[in-house]
Amino acid sequence: MKRRGRGLACMWYPIGFTVTANPSAATVKVNEDGTATLLTGTVETGQGALTVLGQIAAEALGVATDDVHVVSGDTDTMPMDTGAIASRTTYVTGNAVKLAAEKARDILFEVAAPLLGVRADQLEARDRKIQVRAFPQRQLSIGDVALQAQAVKGQPAIGSATWNPPTVPMDPETGQGKPFNTYVYATQIAEVDVDDETGEVDVLRVVAAHDCGTAINPMLVEGQVEGGISMGLGFALQEEILFDAAGRQVNPNLTNYIMPTSLDMPEIEVDIVANYDPTGPFGAKGVGEPTAVPTAAAILNAIHDAVGVRITALPATAEKILAAIKARRAAAGKTLTA
Amino acid sequence: MDSKPVVDGQRQAELQRAATPGVAAEHPLRIYREPLPAVFPAELRVPEVRLQTPAVGQRATRPDARLHGLGQTRYIDDMAFPGMLHARIKRAGVASARILRIDTREAEAMPGVMAVLTGRDIPVNSFGPSFQDQPVLADDRVFHAGDGVAAVAAVTEQLAADALEKIRVEYEPLPAVFDPLEALREDAHQVHAPANNVYARKVIRKGDVETALAASAHVFEQQYRTQMVEHVPIEPHAAIALWDANGRVTLYSSLGRITLGRADVARTLRLPVNRVRLVGTIVGGNFGGKNEITQEPVLALLSKKTGRPVKGVYTRNEEFTASTTRHPFIMDYKTGVDRDGRILARKVRLVLDGGAYCSWSETTLGKAAILSVGPYRIDHLLVEACVVYTNKTMTGAMRGFGAPQVCFAYESQMDEIAAALGIDPLEIRLRNVFVNGSSSPTGQVLDSVVVRESLLQAAERFGWKEGGA
Amino acid sequence: MITIRFVVNGALQVLSVAPETTLLGALRNQLGLTGAKSGCEVGDCGACTVIVDGRSVNACLMLAVQADGCTVLTIEGLATREKLHPLQRAFEELAALQCGFCGPGAILSAKALLDVNPDPSRQEVRDGLAGNLCRCTGYTKMIDAVLHAAQELRAAPTSAATHGER
Repeated sequence: MKRRGRGLACMWYPIGFTVTANPSAATVKVNEDGTATLLTGTVETGQGALTVLGQIAAEALGVATDDVHVVSGDTDTMPMDTGAIASRTTYVTGNAVKLAAEKARDILFEVAAPLLGVRADQLEARDRKIQVRAFPQRQLSIGDVALQAQAVKGQPAIGSATWNPPTVPMDPETGQGKPFNTYVYATQIAEVDVDDETGEVDVLRVVAAHDCGTAINPMLVEGQVEGGISMGLGFALQEEILFDAAGRQVNPNLTNYIMPTSLDMPEIEVDIVANYDPTGPFGAKGVGEPTAVPTAAAILNAIHDAVGVRITALPATAEKILAAIKARRAAAGKTLTA
Repeated sequence: MDSKPVVDGQRQAELQRAATPGVAAEHPLRIYREPLPAVFPAELRVPEVRLQTPAVGQRATRPDARLHGLGQTRYIDDMAFPGMLHARIKRAGVASARILRIDTREAEAMPGVMAVLTGRDIPVNSFGPSFQDQPVLADDRVFHAGDGVAAVAAVTEQLAADALEKIRVEYEPLPAVFDPLEALREDAHQVHAPANNVYARKVIRKGDVETALAASAHVFEQQYRTQMVEHVPIEPHAAIALWDANGRVTLYSSLGRITLGRADVARTLRLPVNRVRLVGTIVGGNFGGKNEITQEPVLALLSKKTGRPVKGVYTRNEEFTASTTRHPFIMDYKTGVDRDGRILARKVRLVLDGGAYCSWSETTLGKAAILSVGPYRIDHLLVEACVVYTNKTMTGAMRGFGAPQVCFAYESQMDEIAAALGIDPLEIRLRNVFVNGSSSPTGQVLDSVVVRESLLQAAERFGWKEGGA
Repeated sequence: MITIRFVVNGALQVLSVAPETTLLGALRNQLGLTGAKSGCEVGDCGACTVIVDGRSVNACLMLAVQADGCTVLTIEGLATREKLHPLQRAFEELAALQCGFCGPGAILSAKALLDVNPDPSRQEVRDGLAGNLCRCTGYTKMIDAVLHAAQELRAAPTSAATHGER
């Protein structure tokens, strides 16, 4: 018979490397028509990093996402980047991109200030315009300013910057220190059906509330959460590399190593927890890895809620759950007869 | 697909007629004998959301996703260069052994085999992000079954694979250790003797954990374990190496971290960094598994030997056996709480199965140790964590760096505590979680903390208070 | 070597192939159609999915000679010169592709499904994508995208039904 259960798990997760420097550099070039090109040394690994970095540059320049073309992936021509690791791209590379874009923008401000009859620090970049703060009707299009900068003033609007999160080394005896500059937080709640005759688990629904600071692109945040949950589900229930007595893997293929398919996935509801981290680009932190962190714990707690057994060694395969259910029944039987 | 599709006679005749010279012109089908061009739809519409300002917060679509959907993204395996050779690496298949002899003569004599490489050919045969304990190709010792022992470049993949079969390697079997707890014992086989199997430790200490445990109303103790898992990017590791006449090597690679990859390649090849160019396109799935070099130096040296571009693509088997995996953890948790479920003290012992090489184990160990206490305010804690060598597949960076493992432990125990004390699982967490200004296990004052909000928001959405969905 | 004749993305192809050449090898290496990917070589991952005579197949498991006389649709033939296929547009706009490596296969599996079942339930879409492994997306947005495209195709069936089969 199928038994319904629910379980929750929360977590915390750091952004960036543990103490170790993990800098990023970026270059933003505003072209003579007001569009921009962003150079980054990170490589797109599927998460949508380049789109997010483009949005950060666009925001800093006051233009639209599509106005920024993002170029990446060549050590000869791109600025260095520590890379797509440790959930650091939005936060660390994002900060470098924002700083680089602001430097390019400041050149535009310098060029526009005399044209608008104000000081550079009275200007803002919004809606593809350079305008006087609080007097938006006094404005020039970013394209006009960029052309002036390059073709008249001889000051092309190019900015380069680097950023590295500040940390404090950990004491080797006590571990005390500041290993990371910021952390994100999340909760996932799973609802499962467990068949108490077979031990099989159906994960029906996962509700996930994730903090990522400002969501630069909520659609891509959702994608990360959904993907992380599928990885967490495989970790919880299915996946395991097995070895023979001689230390050789026995299931090194996708026939016998079982990972989640479309049939295994629950309905997922993603909530982004409102937050703003002043140390991140426009308040953003990150979201890549943490999405895979609490899923297994939530599912295992839900299994316990459903059938009263606690599996303490992953993965919680049907065989393991069924054995635990039988052991529990046997123990209960003994208690009754005693 | 298990059988040959049936083609009806009429269709067959039609196709044959279409292929007859002179017929093509009148036939609606065009005959190509050249590679087909990819279709570039004239629909160059930019989704409205990409044109809006301000940019931050927009559900902007991805330009790369359009190319993915059209099949136009060029992953590394989709690239080819004139004269390109194909490389394959022979894997040891034994977990612990001394290599007595590698006989490559028969393979080298095969028509179409252009070069064979062994560990001796590698200028600096070691790499690794923390310790350089991993050989590019094993030359003296084998430390796990997935170690590469020789590599072949041939005119086709199939020939390269066939040539691997002709390479004879003589091994002297050595003792091995596979269980991380066994590896901790003093009399255990030391994988990288004279180095101790324990290759990194981490301690986090705060307050007085023993006194606080003794003063606790309830103490909960449990061991949790997790397994080894694989990243399973759908794109296997792939790279292409080619040299120019000025002694610069270019590597097109599925590596996710090209800046650091370049330095590692330069070191193994003993080249100045500016003589190495790393180019990435789109990584077809990473999850931490493509964070360090693998076959790049091998391909570079095969390319140098042959003077031709050399491509290598891991088989799915190699993805499992010759790339990194997620660390199995053994986690002992002892937690003292008061009657209201407030955690007073927590003692954690972590043993990480580090596999044959360090890779990103040190980082994983550090993050796991820091995070193992959970997002909870605990004044008295002790975390003792270590990672040990075993003769198994190397473990390394994988999405979460040890966090999914310790979260499984601390959140399982949280529910055990809640159940024992008759407290709702949501409520017990709300009583313990960090808030702004809380001190982390490493004594860091935390801000931008919203774990409480995430709990309440998820519970609300789920309908937790109402008892379910 | 064996000579095969087959129609690929609307064009007749005559190829000389070795007996052991897979359809995937012929498409990628001889025709330059690299949209179908090699992920496992044994039919587990579905990254090589193409449509042969209306059915989705793993091109890594089918020999090129078995495609003799068949009509093959690869991802490169799904869009027209004029526009994206509704599935391609939906996958883009709903963020159903992350690293994208499984994308061509998943989209073609979805097309094969919608060709025979234009109004699938969510569960039927899950079934239709079950042979395409994806490690990035958790499938959720893919399923959403297939349902979205199905709706669009039902609303304008004539414009889309001929995609790739011109």
